[in-house]
Amino acid sequence: MERLTPEQLEQLVHTALRSLPDRRAPASLESRVLAALERQAAIPWWHRSWNYWPQSVRALFLVFCGAVAAGLVFASLGVQTGFDSAPFQHAVAPAQALVDNLLAAGRWLASFTDRLVSQIPSWWLYGAAAFVAGIYAMLFGLGAAAYRTLWSHR
Amino acid sequence: MTAPVDFSTFMRNYQDMVYSTAVRLLGNETQAEDISQDVFLKAYEHWDNLRDSVTAGGWLKTVTTNLSINHLQRYRKRWRFFSEITRPGDEDDREAAPVEFAAPDNFLDTLNQTDRRAWVERALEKLPEHQRVPLVLYHFEDLPYDAIAQRLGVSLSKVKTDIMRGREALARVLMRSGASHEKFDS
Repeated sequence: MERLTPEQLEQLVHTALRSLPDRRAPASLESRVLAALERQAAIPWWHRSWNYWPQSVRALFLVFCGAVAAGLVFASLGVQTGFDSAPFQHAVAPAQALVDNLLAAGRWLASFTDRLVSQIPSWWLYGAAAFVAGIYAMLFGLGAAAYRTLWSHR
Repeated sequence: MTAPVDFSTFMRNYQDMVYSTAVRLLGNETQAEDISQDVFLKAYEHWDNLRDSVTAGGWLKTVTTNLSINHLQRYRKRWRFFSEITRPGDEDDREAAPVEFAAPDNFLDTLNQTDRRAWVERALEKLPEHQRVPLVLYHFEDLPYDAIAQRLGVSLSKVKTDIMRGREALARVLMRSGASHEKFDS
């Protein structure tokens, strides 16, 4: 037996590793890939990324985006120079009413919750918060223990 | 739509190389099969360019290496907190006692035998990730130390140390395999 220099060790390990033939891929790999390709092909174009959209749809989309951008530019110019907003307000009135109703419902819910919480003794709230924190810490500890027990022995 | 017949042939020609690259980096056969599948799905996306390319093999190897390392790094980030706890399997991190190796001639005597190759593969698979990955990149992918350090986001000295310890661990296992008929996991 003799001690090898780092260079000799490198050479030996290199030779040993490079002498290894390729490992045989699982027989299931090819069928898995072909099945995944079939699944991908079955996905409609509107569920896929831009690269898969048909050329005509891409062109239409670009035209639409251009029109929206131009509309925004003209609208901002109109706001700066001043314009008659009455027709616009008339057009958005139904949506405005819906938004107002939703805001009123939200305000009622907030005030109701506020009254409800004020009825609960504060030490109940602190206890509940401590309970949740304790459960969280316990789950975190269980996760760490499970990792160390299961993963470290893989 | 079905994959063209020549893509199936292409896959059969390269699947062992792709799978070997992935499994040696990942040390896990199931994950290696998943990565191999992703590699061929990417290859299919670039099939028009790869179909007649003489560098298709290199392209596949690079993509496999990148996807495997990305997979390991994503996993490592997810479990960074737990991974920083010293694990019983990390005993290779301790300063190992100097190991005596057989003379090179003896060491290589039976290297071509099938069982020795299996031992090397399994020894490589059992190395801790931080030693196995740079070792594979250095010896199989021919990447220099600094490129490995950059790719893995660690210091140059750590890469050198990990590769050195990986080689020693590998050689120690190989010497054990040559010295007795003990089982690998014992």
